[in-house]
Amino acid sequence: MDNFVSFEHVSKIFNAGSINQNVIFSDFNLSISKGSFVSVVGSNGSGKTTMLNLLCGSLPVDTGMIKVGGTDVTKLKEHQRSAFLGRVYQDPSAGTCPNLTILENMALADNKGKSYFLQRGVNRKRINDFKEKLSLLKMGLEDKLEQRVSTLSGGQRQALALLIAAETDLDLLILDEHTAALDPNSAATVMELTKRVVEEKHVTTLMVTHNLKFAADYGDRLFMMHRGNIVYDISGETKKQVSIRDLTDKFDEISIEDGN
Amino acid sequence: MKNNMVKKVLSVGLAAVMALSLSACGSSSSATTAVGTTAAAETTAAGSSESSASTEASGEMKKIGMIQFTTVPSLDNCYTGFLQGLEAEGFVEGQNITIDFQNANAEPSTADTEAQTMAQKKYDLIGAIATPAAMSAYGACKADGIPVVFTAVSDPVAAQLVESLDKSGTICAGSSDQLPIEAQLKLIRAFLPDAKKIGILYTTSEPNSITDLEIIKELAPKYDFEIVDQGVTNASEVVSGAQTLVSKGVDCFTNFTDNNVVNNLPSVLQAATQAGIPVFGSEEGQVYDGCLASISIDYVALGKETGIIAGKILKGELKPEESAIYTSNEGSPFINTEVAESLNLEIPADYQDGTMVTTGSNK
Amino acid sequence: MQIFLGLLEVVLREGFIYGIMAMGVYITYKVLNFPDLSVDGTFPLGCCLAAELITKGMNPWISCLICLAAGGAAGALTGVLHVKLRITDLMSGILVMTALYSVNMVVTEKKAILSIFNMPTIFNSGIGGKLYGMFGQWGWAVMAGIVCLAVKLILDMYLETRSGLLLRAAGNNPKFVVSIGKDPGNMKILGLMIGNALTALSGCVLAQQRESADAGSGTGMVVMSLAAVIIGSAVLGKAKYIRSTTTAVIGMIVYRACLTIAMQLGLETIYLKALMSILFVIALISSRYNDERRKKNG
Repeated sequence: MDNFVSFEHVSKIFNAGSINQNVIFSDFNLSISKGSFVSVVGSNGSGKTTMLNLLCGSLPVDTGMIKVGGTDVTKLKEHQRSAFLGRVYQDPSAGTCPNLTILENMALADNKGKSYFLQRGVNRKRINDFKEKLSLLKMGLEDKLEQRVSTLSGGQRQALALLIAAETDLDLLILDEHTAALDPNSAATVMELTKRVVEEKHVTTLMVTHNLKFAADYGDRLFMMHRGNIVYDISGETKKQVSIRDLTDKFDEISIEDGN
Repeated sequence: MKNNMVKKVLSVGLAAVMALSLSACGSSSSATTAVGTTAAAETTAAGSSESSASTEASGEMKKIGMIQFTTVPSLDNCYTGFLQGLEAEGFVEGQNITIDFQNANAEPSTADTEAQTMAQKKYDLIGAIATPAAMSAYGACKADGIPVVFTAVSDPVAAQLVESLDKSGTICAGSSDQLPIEAQLKLIRAFLPDAKKIGILYTTSEPNSITDLEIIKELAPKYDFEIVDQGVTNASEVVSGAQTLVSKGVDCFTNFTDNNVVNNLPSVLQAATQAGIPVFGSEEGQVYDGCLASISIDYVALGKETGIIAGKILKGELKPEESAIYTSNEGSPFINTEVAESLNLEIPADYQDGTMVTTGSNK
Repeated sequence: MQIFLGLLEVVLREGFIYGIMAMGVYITYKVLNFPDLSVDGTFPLGCCLAAELITKGMNPWISCLICLAAGGAAGALTGVLHVKLRITDLMSGILVMTALYSVNMVVTEKKAILSIFNMPTIFNSGIGGKLYGMFGQWGWAVMAGIVCLAVKLILDMYLETRSGLLLRAAGNNPKFVVSIGKDPGNMKILGLMIGNALTALSGCVLAQQRESADAGSGTGMVVMSLAAVIIGSAVLGKAKYIRSTTTAVIGMIVYRACLTIAMQLGLETIYLKALMSILFVIALISSRYNDERRKKNG
């Protein structure tokens, strides 16, 4: 099993030494193979989001090591890790700049990895490309290039955020409950778009979600987290056949252990 | 909807203010014309200051703008004196002069706007109290040649308001208020024949104090004193600053016109009293508050001399360019007999004719 | 009428000069969302440095450039304190503002006031001198307007560059900047440099116009600029095709006009602060309604 992404003996404690000390991870290990689409589920406080934050560099690890593509990224800063990963947040306004126009947002992301000096901000030659990409969303955004992103609906913004995150080449796509804030229709649209992007780009994807249906329907691997550990991990045929029912049962099992 | 309402209210409000201002300007300008076409001619003539002393005869109103930089007792006294001086020259507010008095709230930008406004209104003269106000007034009036009469400016030559103290050479005239530091040193020596060290507490962000410190350090050896200075940055440091000086064995304290230190005088006095040493003040007010003695500039008198200069310029008797800058005399001694007694100090023979006061007797 | 025109010139001239600072504060406050208090120190830095340089015989235009650079350095310091040393935004500004007082004293060789009366400035030599010759007093407003316009055009152009877009993004959504692989902290530093450079330039131009500098002239500059930025966006609202830089300058002109009008109506200066606070509140409320409407429509 090739470990494209791996967590090795990672620990993370919040408020260490205080009354509110909260051990999220102690000796957490995980490996994800290249090109896989992993769904992650788990109750609140199970460590899902912290795991993503550690992976993206939004939070530093206390001990342990995180590797991506064989290189140790533990010491890299968040913006440096962005060079190879793209992230879509739960908050639709987090993945785009609300005060900039759609065009400006796309132009900025289009230059990812290049220098940002006094070149023209928006390369007019790229506009047709942008329009083409936007038209794939079937949201009519291609005609609203000059509109501020803040005027778009949540679903439109999230679709745009996904498009922007995947605009340049990337090795790893992080989806942080990216449909949670959307109405069911928009959520479904965004999930379909997600699937298409992942398939087109063959990009390794890690999707944290509360939506068990999405978790069951999408992706080729699924794991459930509980108290900083992976308590349920399925892939291949088992994953294909898993139902929402199986997942809720598993959830209940954990909750009973917890005494809830 | 709501938003449109707000916008409408706002725009109506703004329009109203604009309209009011227009009418205000209108009325003031019509007032100018009402005074007579001669007024316009007069102003231009006054600008070149060639109109002779026909002013009194014509009986027209002269317009004076006054800018006081900030509100502190010494500057307030300057203004009181200024009015007295004008009166001595026959100018009484409301009778033959109008005075547009503005306080700049210690902001140079406000002083600028006030001075610019007065210059646009072509006042006959602008009075400025304290250096920043004088700078704004001169900057605003330079092009139009409206005379500026300043007071409470410690170094008008360095500020380039005038070319020399003997002969202004510019549109500015007025008076200077350099602290009589040498006289103060003489006073201290007279009171304390054996004293060696003078402790000085000053605030590092007050430029006047820094200048005064340089002056006193230069003059001290002449009177056999050593200056021990302690800078503070805010009110809370005054107490510890004073204690530090006491521990360095100073024989007395002397103050500058340092706003921070003067405002926290009780802390200084307390430290000095415990150590049994006197504090010399920089203004008479401090002597009433418990300092032993001070050589004080009489700001009312300074203002009055300045007002007289202004009056003479208004009458055309004096041209600002040719005027000499009135410098405050050596100041006069104020002595707190109560404090002297408690410290077992004799009042020196040379200062017997000074003003004798007791603590709080001015209230 | 003549008085009115004269006062109008004063309002425009001061509006343009302080407007340069308003554009700088627009960058820090509106674009970066950073309440930058160091402005109270960089404004007199510009004033004092300009006066000192001109006293030493420096060309007035080159003095402007040096002031820009000095202001930029001060802004960089605020930025580094905040971004690299993790001191809160307000505190970083206060620290730099306080430190700048000492710097200004060193610049002026411990003088609180520096005069440059009748020395060459951009207002009385070269083009400025010609303008004064042609239009008299209005030459000053024109000259101030030219400098202000030049700054505005350059700033507008900059905001359309890649770096400019990234700067706007950094203030609007730092996460987004991170996601495209750039450090939003560095952009913050850059923005603070621009804001403070413009503030120092504003001080420099003012000192040259009034032909003197006052180390105490920074008091109230933050509030004045914030008021201008907020009033500007309240008065012009979401008027399309008016750039925010223009809005800031117009806001400053409106602010100066209100001030002058209040004085004309005989309001004592001690009440000016209260008046300004009221103006501020009206502007804030109306811009909040603007925002709310935008959200509803969005």
